[in-house]
Amino acid sequence: MLRTQDLELFPEYTVTQLLFKNVKNATELRKMAVNGEIKGALINPSMVVDAFQVLVAANKAVHLHTIGKMKTRSLYSEIIFNLSPTNNISEAFKRFGISDSDSAVYFVLVHNKEETLNVDDIISKVDGEQIDVGQVSDMTNAAIIKKLYKVAPQEEKCGSLLDAVVCRMATKDVA
Amino acid sequence: MADSNLLKKQVPLYLVDGQVIKQGAEARVYRGKFLGRSVIIKERFPKLYRHPSLDEKLTRRRTAQEVRSILRCRRAGINAPVVYFVDHNTHCIFLEDIVHSVSVRDHIVSAQASGQDTEHLQTLADKIGQVLAQMHDEDVIHGDLTTSNMLLAGGAEQKNINLVMIDFGLSYISALPEDKGVDLYVLEKAFLSTHPNTETLFERLLKSYSASSKKAPVVMKKLDEVRLRGRKRSMIG
Repeated sequence: MLRTQDLELFPEYTVTQLLFKNVKNATELRKMAVNGEIKGALINPSMVVDAFQVLVAANKAVHLHTIGKMKTRSLYSEIIFNLSPTNNISEAFKRFGISDSDSAVYFVLVHNKEETLNVDDIISKVDGEQIDVGQVSDMTNAAIIKKLYKVAPQEEKCGSLLDAVVCRMATKDVA
Repeated sequence: MADSNLLKKQVPLYLVDGQVIKQGAEARVYRGKFLGRSVIIKERFPKLYRHPSLDEKLTRRRTAQEVRSILRCRRAGINAPVVYFVDHNTHCIFLEDIVHSVSVRDHIVSAQASGQDTEHLQTLADKIGQVLAQMHDEDVIHGDLTTSNMLLAGGAEQKNINLVMIDFGLSYISALPEDKGVDLYVLEKAFLSTHPNTETLFERLLKSYSASSKKAPVVMKKLDEVRLRGRKRSMIG
């Protein structure tokens, strides 16, 4: 259902991902994320190709947080910013964060391995149905992603859409 | 801050118990795990013989160029390892590990040793010429073209040759036919010295290059000029 992944580069941290559909209280959830009641990043699932993409964004965010070089103000906003192909922070939130009208939400939580994460607490806050994280590929809007990341058909000859997206995320700050 | 400087000088913690698979003058290459996947980590370690601020600038620039070239190639449909993460602090690049692959060098060596497969080598030469033409048309100069820096993904027995270019450490962007000519000259020298009796094979490669690129004639002309200029040229007459 939910997925956890240890960050090899930051052994004290673990990343947990959850996916919900038929969500009715997106507005409330967004407010809770902003005021800190929910300690996580809320992402629009239609912009996610695969859980790996989110892990890459989370890893980069934790790295920048560790060396004190984040571009945004919190770890969670940094994860959302890292997903975006541009350097405009508010645009990143608009496109990759959730909006009031969204009916599906992708949760990313970064926590110390030592603390046990109270997942049930989060699940109880969501008015929706939890589904397996792997099902995010059913929700992917490939057309919008290709347009936003400017992925040309020729690039798909040498890799998947996930490869194209991850490569751009990793090289955003130099190219 | 003194603290962050100290942090920088240490070998990245995640590399301390990693397995080094190659060490060059410029960088050390490890194999490791990243987010559950097998990756190649290229570490450009600090060069103590250089002045520290120059070393930092140079290493940062080299890392950025390498990563930019890889992205540029992929955008054009040329196969290169996907970049997963770049640590600009320690100058490490985390790349996709192309498992189950053989370098073109090893393939040619074994094909020549076994005496078979000349037909396949011809097709391989065609493919290499075509990929290089594509790369140069994108104005990407590889800088270190050798058969060890080309991989056959999926092993040597594939029907459709899947050529992957690796090691963009000396690469840069240039539209000049001179630079492209030099790039090919480097390959020619490496090719002919590593694989004896392959002059016709390399010619086939160049023919394929010419057929695949519109800008090829100018580049070929430059290649001829570079050949004349090259090392150990007899200066008689």
